Amino acid sequence: MLNEERIKLMTKMAAYEENEGRKNMATGSYFRGDYIEMQILKSIFSATVAYVVLFGMVIYYDFEMFMQNIYKMDLVEFGKNTLLYYFIFVVSYAVISYIVYSYRYSKAKKSLKRYFYNLKQLAALYDLESKKL
Amino acid sequence: MSELLEMRENLRNFYSRYEVYLIPLFKFILAVTALVFINGSLGYNSRLNSPIIVLVIALMCSFLPVNFIVVISAIVVVLHLYSLALECAIVAGVLFLLLFLMYFRFSPKDTLVVLLLPLAFVLKLPYVIVLGVGLLGTPVSIVSVSCGVIAYYLIYYIQTNAAVITSLDGGDNAVAKLHYVVEGMLNNKEMFVTMAAFAVTVILVYLIRRLSVDHAWTISMIVGIVTCVVLLLLGDLMFEVNISIAAMLIGAVVSLLLAKVMEFFAFNVDYTRTEYVQFEDDEYYYYVKAIPKNSVKKAKKTVKKITSVL
Repeated sequence: MLNEERIKLMTKMAAYEENEGRKNMATGSYFRGDYIEMQILKSIFSATVAYVVLFGMVIYYDFEMFMQNIYKMDLVEFGKNTLLYYFIFVVSYAVISYIVYSYRYSKAKKSLKRYFYNLKQLAALYDLESKKL
Repeated sequence: MSELLEMRENLRNFYSRYEVYLIPLFKFILAVTALVFINGSLGYNSRLNSPIIVLVIALMCSFLPVNFIVVISAIVVVLHLYSLALECAIVAGVLFLLLFLMYFRFSPKDTLVVLLLPLAFVLKLPYVIVLGVGLLGTPVSIVSVSCGVIAYYLIYYIQTNAAVITSLDGGDNAVAKLHYVVEGMLNNKEMFVTMAAFAVTVILVYLIRRLSVDHAWTISMIVGIVTCVVLLLLGDLMFEVNISIAAMLIGAVVSLLLAKVMEFFAFNVDYTRTEYVQFEDDEYYYYVKAIPKNSVKKAKKTVKKITSVL
């Protein structure tokens, strides 16, 4: 016989698995540290690319002045400054991504917990039904 | 009112039944609109202007994730600008690349705003997107709104200055075009005024609509649109940016009406039946304000079968 309560629960869970759940399960399959570490590494990579692009743009923009001054200026100092700005840029971006991804991880874990709780309920409903028979 | 509500229910049912076909259709329409707008304002590359190419790209977009439309639009813009001048393409390319690398890496749900806002600008109705973001989103969406404003003003700036940019062919100064575009963008006060006004509006609308007062959505819309218009006018006075006042006021009123329509679909409640309840458990006191949603039951069709046996 059809069990309405069970069907409702299963429909809800299937909808969850289809949309939000799939993403959350991928997130939840990592340990917290691993997940955040991986995301931060990706962030550092994209921040590095972004910095290189920006740096190239600035040099290209001031190309003439740069070429005129290239023998006069302190190249070591210039390199140091460039690295310092790079460091500040990457670290601040990594901090932002740390905050974002730790928030996302805890949210995903919470919603997965609810999902597993529903799974248990479903199993209980099946148990109940088999006992009735 | 009840007819409107019934119509909404019917629309919802229609949407949920044909969702599989409707979503690709919407994506297709959005992609075509975006590409036609881009080709209309920056049609420097004749190959990209051909309707067949537009249709092929739009068809492709209709089966890919929504955010892909944003990426494709950015690529088309850069290609058009490349046909105009390499330097313009570099500026736009760097801007879009930074956007994708830095912000869209977090894959926010409001990426589409970056595409919708320039389209709304062309229709002179950017305020409706701003109100919508405030009503349905969070303050973080300000980043998306600002990116949309920058994208629009970049395209608009290059479009209006295309003749000057192509004439800047100084052999001795290879970066003259680049200087012209970058300086033009950085000195574009109208852009910064608009960005600031939109950001304030989004935050204000968001804060007011979350208040626990009756008609919070309507109040937030009106306050938001008035603030936005006042800020733009103030910016106009302070920096002499020459915003067309009549167009702005008409756009604001139309946007307000559109936002009301949005409210009808997203947040339709009956304030006359508000209930206040108070209770407690071991840890908290609860002061609950419960407002019922407006809804109607679909009129059931009863089919009476009349059979007669002769």
